[in-house]
Amino acid sequence: MLELRGVYKHFSGIPAVDDVSFSARAGEVTGYLGPNGSGKSTTMKMITGLIEMTAGHIFFQGKPIQDDLITYKRRMGYVPEEPYLYNHLSGAEYLMMVAQLRDLPEKQSSECIDGLLRLLSLYDDRHASISGYSKGMRQKVLIAAAIMHNPELVLLDEPFSGLDVGSALVLRSLIQELAARGKVVLFSSHELDTVERVCSRVVILHKGKIVADDSIERLRSLMELPTLEAIFSQLAVEQDTASMARQIADLIHA
Amino acid sequence: MRKLVELLPLQVRILYRQFLLRVVDLEALSIQADIPRFLGQFASVLIFISLIGAAGLLAGETATATPEGYLSFVWRGEQALISGMMLVVGLVAVISWDSTFPDRRDVMVLSPLPVAAHTILLAKIAASSALLGLAVLTLNFATGLAWPLLIGSHHSSIWGFFQSFAAYWFTMIAASVFVYGSVLTVQGFTALLLPRRMFLRLSAILQILAFALVLGLYFLRPSITTPTGMAMPENQWALAWSPSFWFFGLFNQLNGSIPLEFGWLARRGWIALGIVVLGATASLLLCYLRTMKKTVEEPDLVPGARGWHWTPRFGSALQTAIVLFSLRSLTRSRQHRVIFAFYLAGVLGFALSCVRSALSTTAHRPLNADFLIATFMMMTLAVAGLRSVFSLPISLTANWIWRLTQLRPSEKYVAATRKSLLLLAVIPVWFISALLSLSFRPLHAIAAHLAVLAVVGWIFVELSLIGLYKVPFTCSYLPGKVHVQVMLWVFLFLLLILAMSTAEVELPSLNNPTRYICLMVVLGVGALGLFAFNRHRAQSAVLYFEELPPDVITTLGLVAVRPSMPTIENHIFRQ
Repeated sequence: MLELRGVYKHFSGIPAVDDVSFSARAGEVTGYLGPNGSGKSTTMKMITGLIEMTAGHIFFQGKPIQDDLITYKRRMGYVPEEPYLYNHLSGAEYLMMVAQLRDLPEKQSSECIDGLLRLLSLYDDRHASISGYSKGMRQKVLIAAAIMHNPELVLLDEPFSGLDVGSALVLRSLIQELAARGKVVLFSSHELDTVERVCSRVVILHKGKIVADDSIERLRSLMELPTLEAIFSQLAVEQDTASMARQIADLIHA
Repeated sequence: MRKLVELLPLQVRILYRQFLLRVVDLEALSIQADIPRFLGQFASVLIFISLIGAAGLLAGETATATPEGYLSFVWRGEQALISGMMLVVGLVAVISWDSTFPDRRDVMVLSPLPVAAHTILLAKIAASSALLGLAVLTLNFATGLAWPLLIGSHHSSIWGFFQSFAAYWFTMIAASVFVYGSVLTVQGFTALLLPRRMFLRLSAILQILAFALVLGLYFLRPSITTPTGMAMPENQWALAWSPSFWFFGLFNQLNGSIPLEFGWLARRGWIALGIVVLGATASLLLCYLRTMKKTVEEPDLVPGARGWHWTPRFGSALQTAIVLFSLRSLTRSRQHRVIFAFYLAGVLGFALSCVRSALSTTAHRPLNADFLIATFMMMTLAVAGLRSVFSLPISLTANWIWRLTQLRPSEKYVAATRKSLLLLAVIPVWFISALLSLSFRPLHAIAAHLAVLAVVGWIFVELSLIGLYKVPFTCSYLPGKVHVQVMLWVFLFLLLILAMSTAEVELPSLNNPTRYICLMVVLGVGALGLFAFNRHRAQSAVLYFEELPPDVITTLGLVAVRPSMPTIENHIFRQ
């Protein structure tokens, strides 16, 4: 289980994440939702150890992650929000480099990479430079790099970004499959429809604070709202969207 | 220059500034994208070279006593000035590779905007011309006046100075246009004839070939300074195919000082200039009319190459990952290639000077100090160059993967960096030196020198590793840290002195076993000591991916802290 207790992150005194506590259990997919700038990606980066917390604790399988960060990193896979990759490498080279950095056995990792490239429809372009990859192809490379070492904890920050319909359906099933195989999956996305289908629980963040943490079913019945989108709009969207759209159109007409 | 730019249309002026910024990657040179500062530094180096050159020429002229000696001095001077100009412009062309042609970013950003292709072309040409013009003006800043004055005084006509002045500047501009235009022509027609994907692959190879060609033509050019030498059959091939001799002929034709039998050299110069100007103009126009569309239509994605993809192993998985990452970054990133080429120019220069001296005789020669100095300089320049490019990140945003997969202690990363420096700098230079040493004898002295060179290379690697607790090509750096100018003078003066001193110690010891053993023991102990020091420091080091400025205390400076000054405290205590 992944557990966050009273986690804070301040940037130059401004709180980006403010007293966040929740847990994500093995065998289920936990959705982590929030509008832009609500602190989702910052939380994800703190969970990966890429940035340090201002205060609080993060536990994985009952142990603080900072106690043995190296062992924790071996057990974790992460798909970042932006598809930042080394553009001068090919897809195969990048994945092989990640396997080497993760110290995976050469033969096993080579077979795994080949298999992943085939299943993710990247095999024909595996020796092409990543600079020429589409956004979806880059996303697939990130997904392959995140799961190739069979991690116990899978952190997915906007994993559907740029994926075509077919690949998105595969990824949706993959997320559920990983959870079914006992992995802890924390999944952040703006695609509420997908979250509603994939996640058993959601944590909704607004201005760095948690405003909801429950199963989708329970949230629906508690708030008497039919969809996750309606729940999200009520909890985390402040402005009148229609009025804002009108204002934008008026502005460019002026 | 600024007034000339102001004459251009507004769109051209805006694009000109953007393109000038990218003619040479200023970020790579760590000058904080400050164009005037970069151009100022570039100009000051060339002016300095020009001043030294002018002083040398004036001093050389006073030493000539006979008319034959004077003619030889004049021809040598003219050939040196023209080939020097061509070398500088050639290096500028290599450094600003691809910058005159539209790249994918230009096309994608500017195509949706109401900007015509000819506006982009004009702005690109203006940016390239600005850099080229600056190179021509500053490199001839002093020599461009001193040389016409010097040879104009020997002219039969009273207008001699003006004729020599005009001939000098026309020749220098023509030689520069020839070199830069040749590069543009080759690039342009390659882009037109080949599919874009293949062109992108070939462009990097062409850049390296152009770099080697420019240096090769400069360092291997024979010096033919007498009419007899010009008429010798064995020199005809060099005269016919070395462009610097064509422009030497052109200058003398314009100056009215060419012997009739060498008029063909000037004709070659004119023909070459004409072909290159036409070729460059045609290739640029066609590229802007045709290739811009092709750039959008043909994505940069190169399909998976069929066949064998060999991934060699270099020790542990981490070492293999870091060595391969370094090798790929170095060979595939234009920015890093260009910076490394700056150092490689020195390596290649020393290597070619060795080749030239080897070609001058067919017999085996005894090992000499010049060769020891050359190999020492090659080794230090290669290690320093690689260490310098290691500090420049290739993609800071992609570094998260290194942080996320940092599963081993820092010392393992330092060891992998050491291996990268040894494999990519020390071993190649050592092999080149071994090849170059084949013209020397005795063999035991060569073997002894190569052993010394290997240890020297190792010492330089260990010196480079002091405080280097980062993965090559991944760490951000603070602006202004890599000063190319400072590095240039350090290498030219300090290292040359060090190389000369080392050669002075090494040369006699090569034939004296006792001295040689002492030398090797000293070097070996030094290398081992540095290795142990780096290893010990690396055990407690923390890998870093961002360079942070040192902590400083900033004082407002409102009150000078001097005992004699009436400070507030003193005033209160006196009360």
